[in-house]
Amino acid sequence: MRPEGAAWERAAEVREAAEGWLRAGAVDRPTHEAIENAYPDPCVTPSAVWRILTAVMVTAVALCALGAVWIATGQPGETGLSVLLVVFAGASLVVTERLEASPRFARRGAAGATSFWGSVFFLAGLALFLHEQLRIRSDPAFDAVLLASVLVWGAGCWRWGHPLFAGLSAVSLFYLLGRLPLGRVLWVLAGAALAGLAARRLDDASWAPSHRRAAMVLVVTGVAAVYGAVNVYSLDARWLEELRRFGPRRPAPPPGLFVVAAIATAGLPLGVLAWAWRSRRTFLLDTGIVLFALSLVTLRHYVHVAPLWVVLTVSGAALIALALVAERALRRSPGSERAGLTADALFSDERRQQLLQTVPVVAAFTPAAQAAAVDKPGFAGQGGTFGGGGASEKF
Amino acid sequence: MNPDVVSAIARLRTDNVLSGRQAAFFNRVARRHLVSVRFEIRVLLYVGVLLLTSGVGALVVEHHGAIGPLAIAGSIGLAAAACLAWVVRRAPPFSWDEVPSPSVAFDYVLLLGLLLFASDLGYVEAQFTVLGPRWAHHLLVVGAVYLLAAYRWDSRTVLGLALATLAAWRGVSISLVSASLGVGDTGELRANAIAFGALYVAAATASVRLERKPHFEPVFGNAGLLLLLGALVSGVLEHGSAWGVWLVALLAVASLVMGVSFRLGRSLYFAQAVLAAYVGLLRLLFAPFRHEASSLPFLAAALLGLGALALVFAAHKRMIER
Repeated sequence: MRPEGAAWERAAEVREAAEGWLRAGAVDRPTHEAIENAYPDPCVTPSAVWRILTAVMVTAVALCALGAVWIATGQPGETGLSVLLVVFAGASLVVTERLEASPRFARRGAAGATSFWGSVFFLAGLALFLHEQLRIRSDPAFDAVLLASVLVWGAGCWRWGHPLFAGLSAVSLFYLLGRLPLGRVLWVLAGAALAGLAARRLDDASWAPSHRRAAMVLVVTGVAAVYGAVNVYSLDARWLEELRRFGPRRPAPPPGLFVVAAIATAGLPLGVLAWAWRSRRTFLLDTGIVLFALSLVTLRHYVHVAPLWVVLTVSGAALIALALVAERALRRSPGSERAGLTADALFSDERRQQLLQTVPVVAAFTPAAQAAAVDKPGFAGQGGTFGGGGASEKF
Repeated sequence: MNPDVVSAIARLRTDNVLSGRQAAFFNRVARRHLVSVRFEIRVLLYVGVLLLTSGVGALVVEHHGAIGPLAIAGSIGLAAAACLAWVVRRAPPFSWDEVPSPSVAFDYVLLLGLLLFASDLGYVEAQFTVLGPRWAHHLLVVGAVYLLAAYRWDSRTVLGLALATLAAWRGVSISLVSASLGVGDTGELRANAIAFGALYVAAATASVRLERKPHFEPVFGNAGLLLLLGALVSGVLEHGSAWGVWLVALLAVASLVMGVSFRLGRSLYFAQAVLAAYVGLLRLLFAPFRHEASSLPFLAAALLGLGALALVFAAHKRMIER
């Protein structure tokens, strides 16, 4: 990453924190201005809406330009297309470098889009070149592209600091490892190593803020890989073995391994939650909650403790009760905090969060549209749906 | 720990920009000695409501024959009433201004109560056919109750649900996309979407002008523009000869939205208008080359995209976001 880019990011980090302090009323406006003066950030940083809009338009420009050149050059075959893709990849990467160097354009979303498409074009061009030009068989060509994907996204993250690229690099790595013999063991070893190594960099002051965020993504990916490898359903359904190259059918795993996997399925989420509790890292807490939920779903798959409606209702009520008890306990503690945790918003943008939560609620609970049925007579004899509150079940 | 913020706090304290108390508190948060779990509590409540309402749905599906309709309707109604009673007891007095929730759980218990009410109403209607052939009108009742609840208990989330439910009553939802591809009566669906979109945009304007819950404006405005611009774009992308008329209408509305949102400083409205206009113009560029492979429309689309980018950069530079 460019040193000046890292310095801009550090200043932006402080200014963002100061924005939160101002929003929460913890500092007044003159203090906020003094902080902004002490940490000047030359970059133009639009809101997320502008950045997404810019990235979408850059995507449209890149794809349409590729289509135009492809047709203008007489729609060449796979070899010509692979050359074209690599040329476009090079052009995208040059544009990215120019944009990243400019404080006016570095954080507008354009550089993120050009670097993303540059990497995609390169990998697509490489895939076509290996398969169509060098006539390498599908399996080794796919492995080579996966290896290239690990390196390209990893290098992209290191150079431009996009955490998404770190995630894509890690996913490519685990896909590649899953295709090797003993892929499941490799997932456990590599996942644990990745999570452990990345966790050591989460607070490393020598790393730029975006690289620290990338380390966070790598911790989550590593933990998810270990869980994916040890989950008893994943072992039973042979999910990872499906990733392997075409070959003779593998023997079923020994029954003892299922016992170990069952213990790990139950234990790993608890371990992650304990880690989260000790380190007070909310992203680990979120990961632990998700893994715990997945383990409960796995348990329900093998052990029918109760009918589905009982499981859903009881677990829903339990979650609500847990949240209410936790909130009340925190609020009633001295200073509204307990063990370093609080239910207060602190410096986060509560209003924005509330507005954003409208989207999942509306998406999950809006009943199916049924204008066409308004004038249809005789609902009772035809079946239909009940709901209006999200429970649009047929009966 | 956020090392950049930690070192900044130390420097700002040394320079006397921050007081000792401020620096100590900010330092605790930056070092993660004090962490907010508010978001996690919200997620637990949201997932809890989702699971509970799904469980009620599954109960009805699996056992409505065995338990009997009256028992089911009564118990769901009782649960809904219990939730809403809790909300009524905890709710602060009504105001046309923004009223903060008394607790993080308030919004979710309200949501649960309303969802159970809606499920109960739907079940009663399905079992006893109170509305007869016009059974789908129960969505109107549900939407109206959501709307009243949103205003009474000042919930943007419930308002969003109310607007989506009212649109669903007239058949407008995600299905607008599939309908434009040939499923259902596209003309009627589009007319409904335009009518609701215009109505919601008018409500957004009124809520600000009349100072009646002005903080509801983004929910009304975004829902309205999504429906209005979505309907016009679906008209442009439709098979047939009328797409030119729809394109003119789309460009007129999108230009108006861009102008007004620029003046009001609303970036999300502006973004929706730019994207809708761009998609509509793609049809104009590609339509003459429908039967031949030509690089011209792609080149023009790329140039148009560059023009849109220039517009976006210029608008961002001059717009004062609110």
